[in-house]
Amino acid sequence: MPNIREIRERIDSIQQILKITNAMYLISSSKLKKARKAHENTRPYFEKLQVTLDHILEHTPHMRQLYFERRSDIPEDKRKKGFIVITADKGLCGSYNHNVLKLAEEELFKAFDNNCYLFVLGEVGRLYFKRRNNDIDHSTIDGEFLYTTQNPTLYRAREIAELVLEKFEKKELDDVYLIFTDMEGNEFVPKTVRLLPFERKHFGVDKDGTLKKLPKASFLPSPEVVMNYLIPNYAKGLIYGAMVEAFCCEQQARMTAMDAATNSAKDMIREMSLMYNRARQAAITQEITEVAAGANALRESE
Amino acid sequence: MAKSFHLEIIASDRLFYKGECEHLVITALDGMLGILPGHEALVTALPTGELKYMVDGKWKYAAISEGFMEVMPEYTIILTDTCELPEEIDIVRAEEAKQRAEEKMRSKQSIMEYYHTQAALNKAMNRLKVSQKHFK
Repeated sequence: MPNIREIRERIDSIQQILKITNAMYLISSSKLKKARKAHENTRPYFEKLQVTLDHILEHTPHMRQLYFERRSDIPEDKRKKGFIVITADKGLCGSYNHNVLKLAEEELFKAFDNNCYLFVLGEVGRLYFKRRNNDIDHSTIDGEFLYTTQNPTLYRAREIAELVLEKFEKKELDDVYLIFTDMEGNEFVPKTVRLLPFERKHFGVDKDGTLKKLPKASFLPSPEVVMNYLIPNYAKGLIYGAMVEAFCCEQQARMTAMDAATNSAKDMIREMSLMYNRARQAAITQEITEVAAGANALRESE
Repeated sequence: MAKSFHLEIIASDRLFYKGECEHLVITALDGMLGILPGHEALVTALPTGELKYMVDGKWKYAAISEGFMEVMPEYTIILTDTCELPEEIDIVRAEEAKQRAEEKMRSKQSIMEYYHTQAALNKAMNRLKVSQKHFK
């Protein structure tokens, strides 16, 4: 039988933790409300951005453009790959960080862990890769890439986009991917999206396999100038959308995790107090038995 | 009822306008650009500037920042960072932003910072211009 005092102390410490998890639950649920609203407001932009760009590309005459450059002459294992990984700033949010990092790890493995440059948003991911790269030194993390994932802003997205595009232009990077958590219904799905070079997915192929003759749109002042404006803009929009999405997922994940923690703390307290009461009852019973036995013994000896 | 086309103006933080429109005039890279129904397919980038669109014979004005536009004969889509009606513009905030940007322009900074400040200044001045012109 455990000691009464031990149980008491255990209950107290669980209660302390319960207070913390409960507070975190409340905070993240109010943050979630804000994040959800931002997410809903950005969604039309995010979705339309992709649809419109695809549509524009269908109407774009074939041209040489820096951001379309495949650089296919560089062999797969020599390509410099950049990964923008969006994680949370702190833990305590269930498997949210773990899932993103696992996906990033898989992508790095696929890229032979060679010539990889990591741009990590969020403190958890940054620390994780720092620790990891101490053991095996293959991929580089950008130490000056310090951005928080709290309350994403367009300004931050623009800075990130500029940085990545500049590195791409200078051929310091050949491929750029974006790894973040996407919300699909109530599921969180970590995703990899290719940011650069630009891919023309549809070449407008008709059912019979011939190339569709799409009307070419005119570009003002010229296709090159428009693309030079449009692609940084698109990259920024895409990064912003991903940041908003990931932040919303993070809050949701934290809320669920903290709710579960609060519930199991309550369960534990219930069990412990049962044990506590039992122990107390047992102690009392024993005392009574002792007193009664003592009294009996006294009476018999008289 | 005049001929009209479908217009969508989508800012990064909200859906600004979605509906029919008879005439659209917008600042493009090299000057103002007018769009009427049945315009040829056109794609262009938009700098920070102002736009006006006609709904039911009435002009409506807005200040927009950088973005791009896709024009098709039957619809037009504008995607931009921000878009505001003249009466939504916070003049005090824009004034403060302008002063901050001007202050920063005077100090030494890198080329990247210079572009950022210049963009911020453009945005602030554009907001002030639009709100002074159309909202009193």
